[in-house]
Amino acid sequence: MARSMLVISRQAPWSGLAAREALDIALAGGAFELPLALLLLDDGVFQLSAGQRPESLEQKDLSANLKALPLFGIETIHVARDSLVQRGLDIDSLGHPIELIEESRLGDFIARFDHVVTL
Amino acid sequence: MKFTIAVFGAPHAPGTRRALRFAQAALAGGHEIVRVFLYREAVQTASANLVSPQDETDMGRAWQRFVADNQIDAVVCIAAALRRGVLDTGEAQRYQRPAANLAAGWALSGLGQLHEAAQQCDRLVCFGDQ
Amino acid sequence: MTTLHVVSHSPFADDRLQSCIRLLRPEDGLLLCGNAVEALRDGTKPRALLDEAAAASRSIYALDEDLAARALAGLPEWLRAVDYAGFVELSCQYQRVNGWT
Repeated sequence: MARSMLVISRQAPWSGLAAREALDIALAGGAFELPLALLLLDDGVFQLSAGQRPESLEQKDLSANLKALPLFGIETIHVARDSLVQRGLDIDSLGHPIELIEESRLGDFIARFDHVVTL
Repeated sequence: MKFTIAVFGAPHAPGTRRALRFAQAALAGGHEIVRVFLYREAVQTASANLVSPQDETDMGRAWQRFVADNQIDAVVCIAAALRRGVLDTGEAQRYQRPAANLAAGWALSGLGQLHEAAQQCDRLVCFGDQ
Repeated sequence: MTTLHVVSHSPFADDRLQSCIRLLRPEDGLLLCGNAVEALRDGTKPRALLDEAAAASRSIYALDEDLAARALAGLPEWLRAVDYAGFVELSCQYQRVNGWT
């Protein structure tokens, strides 16, 4: 059986290449049809905020890559609810299909995967 | 056990040294290293152009020696490397850059190599900057 | 299904340690290395967090070279110092390793 991987992305899309390079790991694994999930934790949840205008910082649009996840077999983005709430993001106005994970379930969620990569 | 070691931090970051010591200890403990994979800032560790003062540890060299001495499968993420100016001769020609600087023993390849190694190993251990 | 979490950022400049402790389960382990060992300094808020986690039967380890380099004193009794061989052993003992890079 294929070994599963969880990619935990903890960085905002505005802090250099961290968020993009975390997402690239997920997309590359998805391309090989590997069992893989993405969890946005801490500042990683800023990747979901609506109406981003990355051209203002001469950046490419990371949310376009997030939207491509289903094409790579990653149907939902897992999101730590507390991270969203703490950062004032409105759960109902996010532009992506997400699955919220309660803080008390995060440890169990991580333990469902063979490997974890946190960026 | 079979380990894959992924390194993300810059050559002189403490995490990069720790990754090397961990890799050495894994081999000393009778374990196997399926692959070392350099990603993010760690791709610079595979630059042949790092120059350290004589009284400082040369992390590039230390890794290169470890890879050579133990015949480690040592891969550098090509996309991360191009962005940070670490090129082999093929890439230097392709993008018409003046020089190739990938140190011997390392190979440029895709992120798929990280996943392939993850499929073959029991533990994937990642080391960052700190 | 157990996880070894490895944290290496200073708790005084970064939220990784706090974030990790939130999701640490009794069966998981926490290895402090690099600047994260500063969390062991007596009388600090991060140390209080660690004391609390240890009292709730979380297993906490620290890399001995980082303790030595910083000449940390007043280390708690619950702490288990490990060398690199020990780090490798822990990586085998727990079923996955989550490095908070």
